[in-house]
Formats: sequence, structure tokens, C-alpha cells
Amino acid sequence: MTSSTLLPGTDTQLVVAEDLLDLLRTTTTELRPDEQLEALTLAVAADLPVLLWGEPGIGKTAALTQLAASLNLPLKTVIASVHEPTDFSGLPIVGDDPTVQGVPMAPPQWAVELVRAGKGLLFLDELSTATPAVQAALLRVVLERRVGALQLPPGVRIVAAANPRASAADGWELSPPLANRFVHLYWVHDREVVVRGLGGIWPRAELPRLVPERLAEAVAYARRAVCGFLEARPTLIHRLPSTETRRGGAWPSPRSWEAALTLLAFGTAASASREVLALLVRGAVGDGPGLELLAHLDRMELPDPESLLADPASAELPERGDLRQAALEAVVAAVGARPRRARWEAAWAVLVRALETGAPDLLVAPATALAALRRDDWEVPEALDRLAGVIGLVRLADQSVGRVAAAADAGRTTGAPR
Amino acid sequence: MEKLLAARLHAVKVRPYLAGALFALHVVEDRSVPTMAVDAHWRCYVSSGFVARTPVEELAGVWVHEVSHLLRDHHGRGERYAREYGERGPGERLRRNIAADFEINDDIYGDGLPLPAGAVLPSLLRLPDGLLMEEYLRRASMSGLAAEVAWLDCGSGADGQHRSWELGPDGAHGLSKQQRDAVRFRVAEGIKGRPGDAPEGWRRWADEAFHPSQPWRQLLGAAVRSAVSASGPGEDHSYRRPSRRSAAVPGVLLPSLRRTPPRVCVVIDTSRSVSDAELGSALLEVAAISRSVGGRRDLVSVISCDAAAGVAVPLCRAESIELVGGGGTDLRSGFARALRSRPRPDVIVALTDGQTPWPSAQPSCRTVVGLFPRPASAADEQNPEYAPDAPPPWARVVTIG
Repeated sequence: MTSSTLLPGTDTQLVVAEDLLDLLRTTTTELRPDEQLEALTLAVAADLPVLLWGEPGIGKTAALTQLAASLNLPLKTVIASVHEPTDFSGLPIVGDDPTVQGVPMAPPQWAVELVRAGKGLLFLDELSTATPAVQAALLRVVLERRVGALQLPPGVRIVAAANPRASAADGWELSPPLANRFVHLYWVHDREVVVRGLGGIWPRAELPRLVPERLAEAVAYARRAVCGFLEARPTLIHRLPSTETRRGGAWPSPRSWEAALTLLAFGTAASASREVLALLVRGAVGDGPGLELLAHLDRMELPDPESLLADPASAELPERGDLRQAALEAVVAAVGARPRRARWEAAWAVLVRALETGAPDLLVAPATALAALRRDDWEVPEALDRLAGVIGLVRLADQSVGRVAAAADAGRTTGAPR
Repeated sequence: MEKLLAARLHAVKVRPYLAGALFALHVVEDRSVPTMAVDAHWRCYVSSGFVARTPVEELAGVWVHEVSHLLRDHHGRGERYAREYGERGPGERLRRNIAADFEINDDIYGDGLPLPAGAVLPSLLRLPDGLLMEEYLRRASMSGLAAEVAWLDCGSGADGQHRSWELGPDGAHGLSKQQRDAVRFRVAEGIKGRPGDAPEGWRRWADEAFHPSQPWRQLLGAAVRSAVSASGPGEDHSYRRPSRRSAAVPGVLLPSLRRTPPRVCVVIDTSRSVSDAELGSALLEVAAISRSVGGRRDLVSVISCDAAAGVAVPLCRAESIELVGGGGTDLRSGFARALRSRPRPDVIVALTDGQTPWPSAQPSCRTVVGLFPRPASAADEQNPEYAPDAPPPWARVVTIG
């Protein structure tokens, strides 16, 4: 009989195939810093729902599996697009006497299992291909953590994934209210990581650790940063996306600012890099407001103008040119706010210090502004002599601008082509 | 060094909106650099010989040129282009550098910045000004040019390819990706804040630096899809047929979610200001989208509309719809006609160039406006004060083309 003669053969073949698969699956990992994984971990630790945007097949699920394993959480994957709204709002169950007991809304199995485990990572995949009705039902799961009558325990973290509009052939777009509840992270693959991974070595990220001693300081820092920023830019507190390109992404609202504050505090407590903070903040409130908040953080880290004025000789100025100029301008502004002769002279000393430690052309704007602050009875300080080189530089630049203008004038009068 | 910094001051003076970016560059002197070059980490490599033999005003132009490579993200875009078209190698590198230079050089010089000697312009290859790097790359082989300008090298900041003199990502004074974004963002905001100071090319860059325009097909698709599928039209719970889940809960009557295919009415502006090719592609797109969301072809109807509205024609009977009209536009009659038709449409899609009055009140169905952009100069010559109204806020607007 063919079947009986084939079966043992197939059996051994399958065993061999199993061995081959085992060999293929035997991979090692190497420690490799991964900013997007770090950002994801921090957002998950901060208990904010995360939405991973990425092309299909890019390794979002693999990243989630790794994250769940390293956080020791059971992973529950729910493909949002194949469910009906009632799967998230609960299914009615008739009891013995509906008129007395009512009709309870029973939660689906995955929710019951999560509650029983007390903790877990709920992964809502294919969110952008879920119909608007399903998205509306998901609002409650994501925000209130309720599935039907069931409350998900605090140990449950929510991560969703969606394909960007360009690759989702017939996707729906995310409604702005749902989009506002997520921290949006754009998942991209690194060519090198993929090639090394297929070669058998996958990256293993060092997960950020919250340092208990830094918690209070982190909260204070985050509050100071976000509140100070929003005081200066109140129009950014709430801005519904108006253009078609920005719908369905991150946008600023009091809710998402609160998320940004939380993320800043978590990032600071874990000593996360500025890159990771930027991914998180931009993912919470959107690119524009996020970048502005980061610029505000940069300015917060500039040396305090008063302490520079107090001790000009040992002033530590930022290395980067544009930041250095901003610090010097802050010094000049501080003198302008409270003009005293001693402060004015100290500011000149700061400029001299800047000249000794960096490029001289940065000094032109602050020096001009500082010179304009002079009162009649203030004598020009000796330190000014050392800035003579700067004045020479300005003269060179002015001459060159003048030459160009003259050439342009001459060209116009003679009608020569420019 | 002094000359180089004086040139940077010159550049800051005539292009104040680029000051932040120019000062953020870190200068590295290196003999092996042919002229001046930048890397992706915002370091600027300079050959002292080149500085010595170049006048200050030309150096100022080179500064702006090099910083433009970084602001416009030529290394990232070049890499993306190379990935997409699988074109690598030294010849390609040069080609990308030249195309990037074309994009920069055709709009940054003049007005206080003289064109440096040896700068390449698109006119060398008889190409039009004002295109993007990718468009220049697609249009021209540049093989003839390559021999003449083989010395040209703006570094990895221009094309994404590492050079021997570059310090790489771990070197000192580099800017991280986030810091680069922050600098670019601040320059873009500065230009947007005072648009009068910056020329057209830079304003366009500032508008798109952080929100690159998306293909209109996808945007129109998303707009129509969400209009058609939002709860309300097209889909609702109904007791006409019980839910399939009723079998599991005897005694309870569950409604099922029924879909009625959405009716889409396309109002087309056939005034002479809109070209047939534009209309044709937009109309096909709407039909395809409405089919993909479960609409039937006979449920898409078309109204052509200039000053007066034509009759609603079902799309299935008009394989090639004759678009009548040609005079001025009044889309209000088109909207009125669409709302009068029976059965009523669930969604109105208006395709127009926007040179029209709009209905004063929101129509009783969802509205998507596909807008063909028109330059501002297309205003009425007899009445220069006239400016057409922007589409009303209740419509979702997608700019087409």
C-alpha cells in the first residue's frame, strides 16, 4: 500500500526538516543600542498606549515579542481589523431572569485571560485597517481600559500597530480622537540590523532602567520644562490637525501634553538620551510642537546668564556655535534688563572668554547689542581691545557685502548680465 | 580662518534666516578636502588653500551652498533615491552631487551673494530651473558634464557617501539626528515667521521641510473613504435581519450591522480654468475609491457644473462623460442639484480649482473638495481686489496635483 510505505518515509523526512528548522532558528543576540526599542520600552513603562507605525513585515511583532519577554509580560495579540465592535464593547449574555438581572455584556476570551493573569501586553495589530465603528469601540479599551463589563488590571499595557496610509491599500485613517490617545512611534528597519540578524545575530537592546534616586528630580524637571514652554507658547496647548496630511497622527492637546510630561519624567529618570526623548515627545504631541519643546529644553540647559556674569573668567560656554551665540545673547539681555556698570563690564569679560574658546564671528551680534547698552558715563573697558579682531572681521565682511552691492549696481547701469 | 569667518558673517548678513544653521556648523580644516565639504553630522571641512585663493564674497556663497545641502537633507534624500533605483558607485555619487547642486544653485544666489566660479547650473544641461534634486536625477544623464566637474565634491552631506577625510558619526562636534532636526526646524520656523525676507525657493522648503506633501491620490482616497464610511451614511445597525450572534443568546434580538452601499455624487467644475486631463484623472480616482469601499458603479453620479449645473449622469452609463461647460463657475448650483437628486447622495465630492462661490450653509451630507491648485496671479484682471474664497471649513480639502 502506498500510504503505509510512504508514512515512515514522510515521518523521518519531517524529523529531518525539524532538525533543519532548529538549526535555522538557532541565533544569538548581541548588545546593540536601539533607540526606537528604548523609546517603546519607556512609553510602555509609563503606561501610555503606544502606536507603532510601520510598513508590513518590518518586525513590529518581533519587537513586541522581545519586549514582552524582557519585561516578563504575557503577550496577547488581537488583530483589530478582523473583529466586530461588540468584541470590544462586550457580548450580551442572557441570564436566568433578564428583567431582574439585566443582560450583562460578556468580555471576549482574550480579555478574561489578561485579567486572570493580572498583567500583560495587549497588542492591537492592524489598527488602521479596522473600520471606524471598531475604532470607536477601541477608544474605550485604550482610554478606560474597559472591555465590556471587564476592567483591565493596571498591570496591562497596550501597544497597537498600524500601516502608514501609503502602504495600506484600502485602509481607514485613524480618527483624530483615537490618534490623540497614542504615543506614535515610527518603526523603521536598520539595514545593518537586518543583514546581521539574517546572518544569525539579532540585536538585544539594553532596556532603560529607572533610577529610584532620580524620580523626584525627574518629575520636577519635566514639570518645569513643559509648564515653562506652554506658558511661552499658549497657542500650542490645543491644536486640532487641520490639514489632510496631518490627520491621524500625533497632535497637541492637554491630554497629549500630559503624556509628553510623563514621558519626559520617565526619560529623565532612566537617563535616556536626547534622541530617545525626542522620539517620545514628538510621538506624543507631533513633530512641530515636539521639536519646539526640545528646543526649549536646549535653552533650559544653556548656562544661566547671571552665573556667567558672576564669574566670567571661568565661564563654561556651549561648544556648538548657535547655542553659544544664544547663551551670549542671553547674557546681553540680562544686562539690558538690569543695566549696571559692573554687570556691563562683566558681560564684556564673558565675550572675551568666548573669544578665547571659540569662533570669533559668533560674537558680532552680541557685541553690537552690548555696545548699544553703553551709558555716557561708562568708560570703555580695557577688555575691549582684545575684541579688536572681531571688529576686523566685521570690516572684512562689510567690505565684501559692499563689493557685491557695487558690482550689482554696476551691472544694472551697464546692462551687463548678472 | 579669519577670511572664512568673515565670509560666514557676510552670509549671515545677507541671509539672516540661515544664521542659526550657519553658526551650528563646526569648521574642520583638512588639506585633503578639494574645496569645502560638509558631512551628515554638520561638520564643515575646509581646505586652507581654497580659502586663500577665493574672495570673501564667493566664500560666503559657498557657505550658503554647503549649509543648503544639509538643510535640504540631500544626504538622506540621495540615499533614499539610491535605494529606490539601485544606483550606486562613484559615478552615481557625482551625479547625485551635481543634481543636488542644481537644486541649490538655481535659487540661492543673487541679492548679495555672487555666484562662485565653477558653480554648476541646470542651464548647463539645458534643464529648467526650480526642479528638485530627484527630478534632475531622473531627467538627465549628466554623463557629459561629469568629466568637466569631476573636482566637484561637497562631501557626504550632499550625497550620503562617506569620504576619507570625514570624522564619521563618532567624531567630535557632530550633531545627532535630533539636533540636526532641531536646527532645520528652527530655520524653517524663522522663514515661515517672516516670509517677506526669504525668496520663494526657501519658503517652499520651509513649508515642506517637516511635512512633505503627500501624493494627492492617497489623500483624496482617505478623505472619500472616511466620508463614505463614517458611521451614519452607508452603514448602520438594523433589526431587519438578526445578528449572526443571536443564535448564541436565545431570547435576545440583536441587531446586525448592515451596509447600504454609499452613494457618491461628484460635482465637477467644468469652467475653462480646469484642464480635461486633471479632471479625468481625478474622476477615475473617485470612481475607483468608491468601488473599493463597496460602492457600485451605478451609485456614483457626476454633475458637470459651470455657471449652471448639468444633469446628474450615472457613471456606468457614461464611460466617457462629456463634460459640458466652459464659462465662469458657480458651484452652488452644482451642490443644489446634487442635493435635489433622488436618492440623495451620501457624499458629495467637488472637483474644482476653487475659483467659485461656495454654498453658505453646510450641505446635509459629507463633503470632500478636490482642489486643483492655481497660482495666486490667476486673479481677475479687471478687479485686482478680487480673491476667491477658500473652501469652507466643513469640507475636507485635498489639494490635487
